Amino acid sequence: MTLVKDSPPATRKAGSAAPAAGRGRGRRENLAGYLFMSPWIAGFLLLTAGPMVASLWFAFTDYNLFNSPKWIGLDNFTRMFDDPRWQKSVEVTAKYVVIGTPLKLLLALGVALLLAQSRRGQAFYRAAFYAPSLIGASVSVAFVWRSLFSDSAVVDRTMSLFGVHAGGWVGNPDWILYCLVALTVWQFGAPMVIFLAGLKQVPKELYEAAELDGAGAFRTFWSVTLPMISPVLFFNVLLETIHSFQIFGSAYVVSNTYCGPADATLVYTCYLYQQGFKNAQMGFASAMAWMLLVAVALVTAVLFWSQKKWVHYENDAEGAR
Amino acid sequence: MGTRRNVDRRTILKAAGASAATLGLAATTGCGGDSGTSADGTVTIRYSWWGADERAKKINRTVALFEKKYPKIKVKTDFQDYASFWEKFQTQASGGNPPDVFQNAVTFLRKYDKRSVLLDLGSQIDAGNLSLDNFRAGVTKVGQVDGKQLGVPVGSNTMALVIDKKLYRKAGVEPATGWTWDDYFKALKTIHDRTKVAGDTGYFSIMYLYDLYLRQNGKAFYTKDGLGFDKADLTEWWQDGYNRVKAGLVTDPKIVAQDTPKSSLSAGHGASEFTWDNFTVRYSAEGDSEYGLAPIPTMDGKHTGQYLASLMLSASARTSHPKEVAQFIDFMVHDPEVGTIMGYDRGILASTQQYDAFKPTDTVNKEIAHYEADTAKAGVLGTITPHPSGADTIEAAFLRIGGDLGLGKVRTSDAVKQFFDESQAAFQA
Repeated sequence: MTLVKDSPPATRKAGSAAPAAGRGRGRRENLAGYLFMSPWIAGFLLLTAGPMVASLWFAFTDYNLFNSPKWIGLDNFTRMFDDPRWQKSVEVTAKYVVIGTPLKLLLALGVALLLAQSRRGQAFYRAAFYAPSLIGASVSVAFVWRSLFSDSAVVDRTMSLFGVHAGGWVGNPDWILYCLVALTVWQFGAPMVIFLAGLKQVPKELYEAAELDGAGAFRTFWSVTLPMISPVLFFNVLLETIHSFQIFGSAYVVSNTYCGPADATLVYTCYLYQQGFKNAQMGFASAMAWMLLVAVALVTAVLFWSQKKWVHYENDAEGAR
Repeated sequence: MGTRRNVDRRTILKAAGASAATLGLAATTGCGGDSGTSADGTVTIRYSWWGADERAKKINRTVALFEKKYPKIKVKTDFQDYASFWEKFQTQASGGNPPDVFQNAVTFLRKYDKRSVLLDLGSQIDAGNLSLDNFRAGVTKVGQVDGKQLGVPVGSNTMALVIDKKLYRKAGVEPATGWTWDDYFKALKTIHDRTKVAGDTGYFSIMYLYDLYLRQNGKAFYTKDGLGFDKADLTEWWQDGYNRVKAGLVTDPKIVAQDTPKSSLSAGHGASEFTWDNFTVRYSAEGDSEYGLAPIPTMDGKHTGQYLASLMLSASARTSHPKEVAQFIDFMVHDPEVGTIMGYDRGILASTQQYDAFKPTDTVNKEIAHYEADTAKAGVLGTITPHPSGADTIEAAFLRIGGDLGLGKVRTSDAVKQFFDESQAAFQA
């Protein structure tokens, strides 16, 4: 893409007779560019854009996969608010996002701070902490998680050593969500790497200045590190929040496809899946999907709005000083 | 840079052409489906079913037999567990691409007939490709809806109480024909007191059992197009069930949730479970104890409300090879050797050829044979009408909401209301 975009001015400079021919070549090269992209464009149109448009249409219809969709206006949307299981799914998802995301980011930041200092075996530690992020989203890890948190399994026995007899988390509606939270927090490696990159960007002079002013470790962190990495923090918060809203695989597998017990892991997408593919209520499921999109967009908008208050980009900081 | 930018046009066109061709290829393979006729006249049909590994091993052997006898027909097989099977089937069927032939049950006949997915096998029977002769009395009726033959039974089964014989012996409990619900619940208490194991794994959320209970009381779970009981009936049934969970007579649903996909009976967390009699085969393979069959408890000492149900083979209305599919079904239900391979895995063999060919030698299969013979002799068997469309969703909701109730997470009245709301939505879908 960049190659093609850059070309016209260069060609034009080459000679005075060039403009007409150059434009022709530019067009040809544009065409070539599009041809190269064609597999992806076709894929985007067929596999992403097309289904999205279809689901927007289904959202306003009664569609059970076999009938032809029947227009019912906003009925699917109003039905959601009367549906106790939909409410439950919103509650479960909100709880997961609100508990899981901050915990994960705190851990990621904490470990990144430790790893930012030079020490022996640094590369090893970074790789080791990052590894869970690579495999954590896989179905097999979710299976392992299910067995770790079952009755009389590793977690249960370890906790019993400390006198906590909780039984298996997986069968307990009050605990199983924390099992999913633990799974996502364990994958703190990805935001950690981003934090590390951010920490490396903080100019050394600032720390030296802080030291000269007699700032302690906490004060330095609060007044130098945190503001300097706030753009990175913002990026991580944004990414992880959006990601958390879309949790499906771990809930589906850890609960053995039922998203239970007692709907305790009935995350939003899981209920969407049940309605769409088990109960064949594709219209309702489509409406749910668009509702999720709107909710995530709103949360994102709020985050963007809030960054004025707490995210310091270098230019602003200079202006403020 | 200038020269490198000037990539030869032909190269570009070639590359673009190649990628377009790849796409095209991908598209054709994507749409072609798997069933078809190849150049030498060999026909390929797709066959899928639900069940555990044990069943798959046996079925694959029978498929090999079929392919040997019909060298011009190839069979592609596929299987999942019950819930995943129907999820996948629904998606395939809605896309117009269901398997050519598949395992089916009475719960799904009306649903998929209404959606024109099932082939009426009547014309194939008339054409002589498939025979409904030589079946045990009455079994072929199970596959009929409104005069159409939508499925051919491979075996008949009936609801039963599958028990962990060792635990029952240890507790000194002996189930007897005609025992009542009071006897049964007393037995659960005795078992719990003497073995510290819950007596039952969760009877009150099993749709098929509640159906029997209702039949004993002159009702049924389904009418032709709706539910055959009211909120008061279900409230009583579930409230009693919940009380028995609290008393330890019924397995803690927390444990049941962790045992799945295994049954809590074969996992050793309960002494008995109401399910289909042929499940004894599966539990014996899955668990460490000895499993056997006991009679369904009654209200009046006689009527159990039982009926013969059946697993059957159905065909897709969209198959391009109805004749071959009919020949396949015919072979699978009549061939004696298939009968000896399958045993009672899918119920007591339905055709007389297979029934006569298979002589059970192991205790489990013998017990199933005795059980159905005794049940038939007791004269308690009624008839079953195909369930209304939506029954599959309702069965799942009954199990789920009953389980939630057992966990003490919902009030009984709320659970009952939730169930009735979801049922209404399922009937309408």
